[in-house]
Amino acid sequence: MSDTVWIQLSELAHGRSGDKGDAFNIGLVAHRPEWFPLLKEAVTPDLLRGWFAEMVTGSIHVWELPGIGAINCLLNGALDGGGTTSLRLDAQGKAWGQAVLRLRVPVNRSRAAAAGLSLTTATADQWGGPSL
Amino acid sequence: MARDESECADGSRRSVRIGGAGGFWGDRVYAPVELLKHEPLDYIMLDYLAELTLSIMAKQKARDASAGWATDLTDWLRAGGMTELHAQGVKLITDAGGANPEACARAVLEVARDNGWNECKVAMVVGDDIMPRLPVLFELDHPLEHMETGESLAESGEQVIAANAYLGAGPIAAALQDGADIVITGRVADASLLVGCMVHAAGWSENAFELGLTRQDPLTDWAPADVDDPLEVLAQWTVAGHLIECGAQVTGGNSTDWETIPELTDLALPVAEVDADGTVVITRAERGGGRVDRRTVAEQLVYEIGDPAAYITPDVIIDMRQITLEETGPERVTVAGARGEPQPDDLKVSAAVEGGWFASSSLLVSGPNAIERAENCDALLRGRLAENEDLVIQSEFIGAGITLPPGVPRRKEMIGDPPEVLLRWAVRSDDRRQVVRFGREVAPLVLTGPAGVAGYGARPKPRRQLRYWPALIPREMVEPLVRIEVLTVSDLPRSVDRLTLVRQRTQRFIERLQEELEEREWARPLARRLNPEAKEMLEQGHGQEEAHG
Repeated sequence: MSDTVWIQLSELAHGRSGDKGDAFNIGLVAHRPEWFPLLKEAVTPDLLRGWFAEMVTGSIHVWELPGIGAINCLLNGALDGGGTTSLRLDAQGKAWGQAVLRLRVPVNRSRAAAAGLSLTTATADQWGGPSL
Repeated sequence: MARDESECADGSRRSVRIGGAGGFWGDRVYAPVELLKHEPLDYIMLDYLAELTLSIMAKQKARDASAGWATDLTDWLRAGGMTELHAQGVKLITDAGGANPEACARAVLEVARDNGWNECKVAMVVGDDIMPRLPVLFELDHPLEHMETGESLAESGEQVIAANAYLGAGPIAAALQDGADIVITGRVADASLLVGCMVHAAGWSENAFELGLTRQDPLTDWAPADVDDPLEVLAQWTVAGHLIECGAQVTGGNSTDWETIPELTDLALPVAEVDADGTVVITRAERGGGRVDRRTVAEQLVYEIGDPAAYITPDVIIDMRQITLEETGPERVTVAGARGEPQPDDLKVSAAVEGGWFASSSLLVSGPNAIERAENCDALLRGRLAENEDLVIQSEFIGAGITLPPGVPRRKEMIGDPPEVLLRWAVRSDDRRQVVRFGREVAPLVLTGPAGVAGYGARPKPRRQLRYWPALIPREMVEPLVRIEVLTVSDLPRSVDRLTLVRQRTQRFIERLQEELEEREWARPLARRLNPEAKEMLEQGHGQEEAHG
């Protein structure tokens, strides 16, 4: 049995997103301060690169705000040229803060359980594969 | 609500209460009136300017010399807002001036006059608009390089629609120090609206006045000697401004917890209770619904930020990493731990240039296999537009996962067969005719596309896009030309004569610019050349305005 399980991000954090030129940010705040270590380990630039793939043409940053148990993700070159010229309906990336909450992120099973995180909906697979 | 907490036991000191009454031009128009009626405040601030609002306003001003500012402001001032400001002595700070602070100030004075408040002092802050100075700035080797692409605006040949520098809190505090009841600005950093109030309320502007400092001296120098760490205080104030500048977005609006927020129909606006020592409490108007807790405040703290170690404003660079949020009462969150670094040498400029032609349209596709039918319908349209090689077409299948990021596999399994899909197209081209052609090809899909399409509106009309152009400029290229003018109702007849005003303004501008340049030995030849050139440039720029005057 693998040590890593995948849980829906909404169980770990809440969030908000918005635009900064041709970039958008996603701020994610752990529901509980003691879950902040799990959050920052789970949401990495690599994970975000995998999610957003060809949508992001620039660098991806994930910074920490330990004081409020949050991370801030910045995805450069991700708004089709920027909010004012983008042809997308969500030209300012306002939806992503909520949209990513339904995706799954990896957590260490025993540490998550020890931190009081419910693993009842956890799966063995990033994309919602077999439930545990 | 436990408002009493903000008062000392002996009542000797009360925190400064600042209401955040609006977050963009389009926010609830009359909400500020309700806030003023029911909530004791010292200041009320309203941010009306998003990234591109100013370029839209600049276009309005070009058509009508009395337009180009956020007219929502006078709508709510006329609907009882001005009466409340007058009766309660609450000061109003807003960037509603947009591209035309003069016209906005005039309209506000007219409301004051109609309310019988003839002593009302309205200050306008002018000088954020660097558009008339661009040729000179380019000549002085400030090409306004695009912050993301590095492209030089000077060499781009682009048609500039607007270019405004983000001013800081200094001019606002100075205007309040001059006795202003209402401060109308153009582009200022959002959070600086609050910082300006506090710099004044905490006695910094008075101290600066006594020390003989100018608005070009950093705010940290304005601080009275007993302020231990002015940078930290400025950082705390700026965070307070950042938290309430989007209005109800910190009191439950747009919150992940939205479904559980009480009384959204009457969502209360936020109030920041701020002290001279940098203590900050975020709360909300007592009347109405909403929620202020660690969660709503945390979401607003991370809203549209970049590196939390260096959140840059004109007044201070903030390190947000050690900020803590503590629920210190019902609907009260105490914010602590912001650190500050000295103000940046450069100011941010928000410019806009003319972009390509744009149009969008959408069709509802229904029935079994709606996604596949929508995809085929999209292919049909693209086929009919194939000759239009410069047309960029973006197709989105709304309801079929546009907010699932592209890297998510097995999308069809996740999405299934939804009962309907909204097929939306947006197109862009530098060639207007190709965008017109798109509009002409969308309509026939109603008869030639798949069965069960609905929702077609009118043939979409091409409109110009504006391209956002962020850049940096040294402070000394902007701040010497910032002007504050405090006007009262008695100034109204004088300002009716727009022709005279424009001429005076033009002349004053040229003189000041010349003075500026004369001080720099290396720029003297340019200064001598400037007068005729600038005159011509300004006359061209204002020609339309004069014609309307």
